[in-house]
This record gives sequence, structure tokens and C-alpha cells, in this order.
Amino acid sequence: MNIKIKFLPYERLKELDIPHLLEDMKKDTIILIDAKLSVSQETAIIEETMKAISDKFAGIELSSLEMSADENVSLFEKLRGRFAEFILGKRRGITVIGPSKTIKRIKKNPKDLFLEMSG
Amino acid sequence: MVIKHLKRLHGRIMDSINSLFKKKSQVRLGLYGPVNSGKTTLANTICMDWIGEEVGAVSAIPHETREVQMKEHVEIAGNGKKLVFNVIDTPGIATKIDFEDFVKRGMSKDKAKQRAKEATKGVIESIKWLDEMDVVLVVMDATKDPVDQVNVTILGNLEARKVPFIIVANKLDLKNAKAWQIRKTFPQYPIIGISARTGYNMKELYKLIIETMS
Repeated sequence: MNIKIKFLPYERLKELDIPHLLEDMKKDTIILIDAKLSVSQETAIIEETMKAISDKFAGIELSSLEMSADENVSLFEKLRGRFAEFILGKRRGITVIGPSKTIKRIKKNPKDLFLEMSG
Repeated sequence: MVIKHLKRLHGRIMDSINSLFKKKSQVRLGLYGPVNSGKTTLANTICMDWIGEEVGAVSAIPHETREVQMKEHVEIAGNGKKLVFNVIDTPGIATKIDFEDFVKRGMSKDKAKQRAKEATKGVIESIKWLDEMDVVLVVMDATKDPVDQVNVTILGNLEARKVPFIIVANKLDLKNAKAWQIRKTFPQYPIIGISARTGYNMKELYKLIIETMS
């Protein structure tokens, strides 16, 4: 199997529609996004995935990890981070989405995501 | 002119009163969760306890419930109070549905494809019903890892919609059940351990439902 990985800056997610992401995943592409998706974005992806499921496409594996501010960072840094998130509408973290035929499972640990691929 | 305004005002007041009573007399209790967490078994136990009727069929094969099922006027008592609920059992939410999984369980290809198609519609229906709920039981299988994206997405949706909810750690009758793992993963939410199959701790669940709505 020829697996491809697409790194997607969160800012570009606004331009790309979900059907486009699903088309990538149908071609065995795993998508990494440098932010945590919002609940409404995750829900919309699940809904659109259900509409796209067919004999050839069984769905997706999806996992998001939110990065909370480092405990050692100063209050000013934390506030600056929060302000930037507010302005950009971006939540610090990472999201992995990929076809369920390719990704066996995504194990979510408190501070990282672990991808197990189908063999 | 004045009469016309008075009539309109009267209409608005009556609408408000009607919606108020409608809300109070029909509390919608939704059961949400991943596939095969025991939602229908729990809905059946609740409805058998209070109205002597079941809601739907249960099966070990995933996606047995593919449509929203409802039992109306289920009076639940607890903490010396009574409330009338519409118990709404929803299809399990999933991110993948592979018809080949059903074939592996002995289903014909055609039936498996049909089941998969119905299951995808069921997931969409479940999500759409989120807006209609007054209180939700998020049913999790205590024998499985609770750090599941489906659980996280359901809880996030309920929080965003400000729908009160209780996490139900189900299947405590099984030896490998770990309710503590669910408590550790979601310490910020109300959690209760039960067995919908044996009825273990159901009285405490009823008390908690009434308490949540009071």
C-alpha cells in the first residue's frame, strides 16, 4: 500500500472543504493538522464521512490532541497564547485524520498520539 | 388597530405558556454513545422498570439500532420526586462502518451492505437529534478504553449545546470492566457505574437523573 501523508496548516483548513479532505483519504492519504479541531468541525467531518461511506471507503480514524499551556510558562506568555488563539480562531494542538483501512487505530495518550498502521 | 395588537399579544403569551408546559411535561432523555456500548439494553431496562415495555432489539452484532427509537411518557421516580420522560434510544455514533465486518459475522454481502448503509444514516440522525435533547446519558462500555474520539466528540457537543448529561459506565457485570478508568479520563463530569443487563445500580442512576433535572 502506498501511504501518503499531507501536512496541513490550520489556516488552510478554512479554504479546504471536508469533501476535499475525504477525497484525499479515499486515496490512502493521512492528514496531519497543526491545531485541535473544534467540536463542530469534528462533528461535521463525522457527518460528511457517513455520507461518503461506500463499498470501497469504510470511513476514517480521527483523533485530536489539545495542548494546554506549559505549566512553567509565565502568566504573560499564557495570556499571549490565549489571545493569539482567540484572534486566529486556532486551538493549540494536533489532529490526525486518515482512512480506517490504513490506520488500524490511534491511541491517544495525555501528551501524544500514537498511530498504529494496518499491516 | 388596538384589538389587533391585543390579539397578537394574547397569541404570543399563549405560545409562551404552551412551550413552557410542553417543555416541562415532555423531558427528552437521550441515550448516546459509541456502537455496542449497551444503549438499547439500558433503554430497555429503564422502560421495563417503569412502563413494562422494551424499546428495541439488542444484538452482539454492531449497529443493531439504526434508527432513533422512542418510548413516550416514562415516569421515573427517585429522591422522592417523579418526572415524565420521553426515552430516546439513538444509533451508536462511529467514524467508520465497514460492511465486511458484518460479512465476517456471517451476514450475506447484500445484507451487510444494506446494514452498513442504514447505519451511516443512523449516525447522521443521532447527531441531528442532539439539539432536541433535554438530558443525555452518555453510555460507555467500561471494558473498553474510554479515550475514544467518539466519546470526546459527544461530550464536547453536549457541553457546547449546554445539555446536561451523565456518563454511564456500563457492563460492570463483566470481569474486565474498569469504571475507574472512565472516572480517571473524565474527572470533571458526573459518572455512575451500572450494569444495564443485570440492573445493578439502576436505582442510583434514577436518583441521579432526577437530581440532574431538578
